[in-house]
Amino acid sequence: MGKLDITIEICGMSGDGTIAAGGLLNTAMSRAGWSVLAFDSYPAEIRGFGRCVTRSRFGETKQIALEDSTDVLISLDDKQSLSRIPFLADDAVVLFDNKPSAHLAEGESIAAHVAPGMALYGAPFLDLASSASGSGKGRNLAALGALAAIYNLPLDYFREVIAAKFKSKGDRVVEANHKSFDAGWEYAREQFADRIRGIPIPGTAGEEPEKLLLSGNVAIAEGALAANVKSYFGYPITPATPIMEYLAGKLPERDGRVVQMEDEISAIGAVLGSFFAGTRAMTATSGPGFALMTELITHGVMSETPAVIVDAQRGGPATGLPTKTEQSDLLAAVFGGPGDSARIVIAPTDVTECYHYTAKSFRLAEKYQTPVIILTDFFLDNRVENLVRPTSRPGDIEDGNVYPAIADRWNYHRYRLTESGISPRALPGMEGYIFPATGLEHRQEGVPDFSPENHMVMSQKRRTKILSALADLESPVEYADPGRLDVGVISWGSSFGAALDAVNTAREQGLRVGALKVTTMYPYHAEEIRAFMSRCQEILIPELNLSGQLATLIGHLFPKDVIRLNMVTGIPIYPSVILVKIREIIGVQGR
Amino acid sequence: MGARHLVVIGNGPAGKEAAAVLRDKEPESRITIISKDHEGQYRPNFLPDYISGRKSLEQLYATPFRFYQDQEIKLRLGQPVAVLDLEERRIILDHKEVIRFDGLVIAVGGRPRIPEPLLVFQDLMYTLKTVQDANSWIDRLASVDSVVIVGGDLTSFAITRALLQLGKRVGFVFSEEAFWPQRCNDQILRAAAAKLAARGVEVVPGRLKRIVRHSETRFEIMTDCRHLEAGLVGAFFGLVPDVRFLAGSGLQIERGILVDEYLNTGFEGVYAAGDCAQVYHPELRDYWVSIGYDNALRLGRIAASNLAGGREETTVPPESLFCDQGVRANTSWWLEF
Amino acid sequence: MKTSGKALAQKVERIEASEVFSIRSDELPTWCPGCGYFGIHFGINNAIQQLALLHHQVVVVSGIGCAGRYPFFSHTYGLHTVHGRALPVATGVKLANPELTVLAVGGDGDGLGIGGGHFPHAARRDININYILFDNAIYGLTKGQPSPSTPVGFKTKASPQGTREQPLNATLLALSYGASFVARLFAGDPEGITRALTAGIRHEGFSFYHVYTTCVTFDKQNRTWDHLKKSVHALPENHDRTDRGRAIEHVLRDNDSLGIIYQESR
Repeated sequence: MGKLDITIEICGMSGDGTIAAGGLLNTAMSRAGWSVLAFDSYPAEIRGFGRCVTRSRFGETKQIALEDSTDVLISLDDKQSLSRIPFLADDAVVLFDNKPSAHLAEGESIAAHVAPGMALYGAPFLDLASSASGSGKGRNLAALGALAAIYNLPLDYFREVIAAKFKSKGDRVVEANHKSFDAGWEYAREQFADRIRGIPIPGTAGEEPEKLLLSGNVAIAEGALAANVKSYFGYPITPATPIMEYLAGKLPERDGRVVQMEDEISAIGAVLGSFFAGTRAMTATSGPGFALMTELITHGVMSETPAVIVDAQRGGPATGLPTKTEQSDLLAAVFGGPGDSARIVIAPTDVTECYHYTAKSFRLAEKYQTPVIILTDFFLDNRVENLVRPTSRPGDIEDGNVYPAIADRWNYHRYRLTESGISPRALPGMEGYIFPATGLEHRQEGVPDFSPENHMVMSQKRRTKILSALADLESPVEYADPGRLDVGVISWGSSFGAALDAVNTAREQGLRVGALKVTTMYPYHAEEIRAFMSRCQEILIPELNLSGQLATLIGHLFPKDVIRLNMVTGIPIYPSVILVKIREIIGVQGR
Repeated sequence: MGARHLVVIGNGPAGKEAAAVLRDKEPESRITIISKDHEGQYRPNFLPDYISGRKSLEQLYATPFRFYQDQEIKLRLGQPVAVLDLEERRIILDHKEVIRFDGLVIAVGGRPRIPEPLLVFQDLMYTLKTVQDANSWIDRLASVDSVVIVGGDLTSFAITRALLQLGKRVGFVFSEEAFWPQRCNDQILRAAAAKLAARGVEVVPGRLKRIVRHSETRFEIMTDCRHLEAGLVGAFFGLVPDVRFLAGSGLQIERGILVDEYLNTGFEGVYAAGDCAQVYHPELRDYWVSIGYDNALRLGRIAASNLAGGREETTVPPESLFCDQGVRANTSWWLEF
Repeated sequence: MKTSGKALAQKVERIEASEVFSIRSDELPTWCPGCGYFGIHFGINNAIQQLALLHHQVVVVSGIGCAGRYPFFSHTYGLHTVHGRALPVATGVKLANPELTVLAVGGDGDGLGIGGGHFPHAARRDININYILFDNAIYGLTKGQPSPSTPVGFKTKASPQGTREQPLNATLLALSYGASFVARLFAGDPEGITRALTAGIRHEGFSFYHVYTTCVTFDKQNRTWDHLKKSVHALPENHDRTDRGRAIEHVLRDNDSLGIIYQESR
């Protein structure tokens, strides 16, 4: 038997406490020493009449992707849960409320839909909660209690997290909730005494340092705080809004501020203005907002003004699918906007990288005097992983500005040509270094100049400067044995986890495959990527966009056509899908 | 919904055979088997060997799930029936789901019988019907050395053999109640006792009077002549049809569900088969109880065939029936101890 | 107070020659001779002198248009941004370093057309920046198209039958957006501009300056020097600059009065 690995879903209607139960489960399992990767689905409409599904994968080792197969389903609302049946493993466990308030027609109970190989555990969640605590509201907790009993999970962690979560509502609520949980546990212990399925608890329970559950969005915000960002200018847009709201709570206590601007254009305008005056600022948006920012982003490129922009990608184009994940802004981020406007684009692949990449983006923006775009996606922003509280590395967050020398005083040229392309940058308030910054083509002093030679030279200067950042940006990382590979899988963003998971499985199956993680999207490390590609028979690039945007960007580094695996379903790509493709390429039958 | 819905309650040999035949005869109908067991279909006669370790779990299971899938038979496991409403032609499951049927075969089998005087000790005794039961036996046997078997039905001999193979000390208390539905006479009793003694089993005379639990693994068994101690007490008094949930449904129930020689209950489209049925013998003008695996298969087939429009009789030769306490029985399974 | 274009040009030349006028950068303005922007430039620079602001602590943020070129001609830090976006960029600059004096400049097209959406929010956000709108009621840099403040019936190549839309009144907009300091000025009266700016720069909040000016190259019939000279006049003596409602009423009746029309006491 391989490493322990279980995916648990809770499905209900909004109002059932589904998301709360999922959160409690994640926290308790994290305390118990499991690695957690969780991703919830919410109803699309605000009025909230819709299905909620929490999906959590627990394992001994770090979980890097979700699979399309669920091992345990807790149904808080059978009608909603029916939609989850196709995703259940053949031997899945299904917990459901076996005492509904009214009779159900054939097929309305989830019991009608489970396959014989699945194990059905019926417990009267509502009745148990009502009897124990006087209210049916705790039925989600009764269900959790039943789950804990069935799997012999350590109760203390659950009781602790319930107490912590409801502390603010007072002792009575905590007690009532404990009672509901206990009632579910006791019922299950007795009724399922002959069907208990213990799972071993990892030996890392209670180990220091303690792990936190963080979402990608919170990690981004915390990374920005670590870099001492002072201002956040933003506009509400799914899925970036939580970043703004998190910082709105934290920045004022650090002498900073969140200003909700009137649109995304003013948001990026204020970020550029702030960096122009020497203070770190950032904004976060999604595809439609990013499109609006394009002109000013190119202004940042032309005027060589730093900015930090998070594009939390979602389904597109246009308004697209606001609550679905996708990776289809890559080319827009790299090339979008008028002219040759190369800028830095980076893409984290997990929550830890969300933190560190955001933290270091400010220094990069300052040093290379350019907008830095951080590409994330709905899945990465909203998923939760447990990790040790991240702290920033001093080298990441230090001031990246290259200030002018004393010798340049009173004779300062803002855009002086240098070997690296980086011209020392004065800040308003510095005496003797007055200059104009402009979005027009300009000569070294900063005043407009449209002559042929000047445009050529200055364009090259700006490009050289960006390319010089390669040494400062994360190189691609290989996950492969040395030597020839039959298939090399290259991926980015949240899809990389699924790619690596698939490659790991393929290697266990004896296939000669490897993975390459690309996190610096522009300028990209052509040499390193080419080196990896050159030892592969075939290159496979799975990503969540229709045309294969990463494939388009770097495919030319491979002598033949790369194989594209494109999904635009709005949901993360599954490792199993990538594995099937790998095997198909190699010519192996079956899974 | 045009297609007929044919429901079988019970996934034992009778139920499964019934469903298979129904599928064969009615390719367009919807067929559902409902079982309160969580496990798939298994061979109860293999359970003692499973306990002794001579048969594996895989060998116990008779029919893989693939079969039901291929035959398009919906198998609902772990879903007990709470109410049978013959008037409305519907079944209400324990979790309050209502299933309407056009045709029904009841094949719920039997459950271990505890004679009335001993009902008070029911919780202290282990029975053996399901795989879960067998697992409980295996768990408990790990920490006891001695077992007392009370009763004397067919299974009791098989389990005694299994226990001896495991090296346990076995005591045996025969009960005249135990031989239902078998013939019980002194001759058989003495022969059986002799054979047991020859194998090292302590045959305890007298009727069982009391059982006292001193701890989880220490019981005191008292007959009218003897006391003895053991770590586990097993009750083997045969099976009774598991039809308690059918009380009030309108079916005629005596020991089991009364059916005619075509296995029909008297309600149109409603049949019973297997251990739970009491079948009318037109020649003897009396009912007989069917026992055993092969009988169950046969009756299941016949019930299904008749539900699908056939007219097959189940009658067995009168001489194969034996009688005990006013109940006739036919068994297909006799274990030579 | 009222000065003709030619006289203004001569005045500027005289001052250029003197050494007092040190705010000028080395760049020659791209504005046409007789352009009202020279007067505004003069008025702004005098205010900076009078307030004794250090040049390196002044940032001029501009949009696109003839007015957008302003930062190049001013010896201060400059940030020539994209069309219509001077106000949000200026907001970012001021919040980053409150010690700086921040001026946002742009024309009527930049500020009332593409930038129109930022105007109300800059006003309501009330951050201490100074927004000077050079209103010549035309798009000059792109060679003479109608702008949001062009009057009805104005004929241009882009509107050969004459414009049909009603013009926007920037002063009225500022007042209704809740701006805490609103002044209406005239490029031919640089002293008036200086007076308003010295008060407005000191004002702790969003200060708006609506400056009537001319485009001598592309508007020879509507907003000419002659027309402006004849129509502008001072605010009445009894004008109550602390009453927003009164100020709005006044502006609805009188489009030609100059001075500080509204100022919230702070």
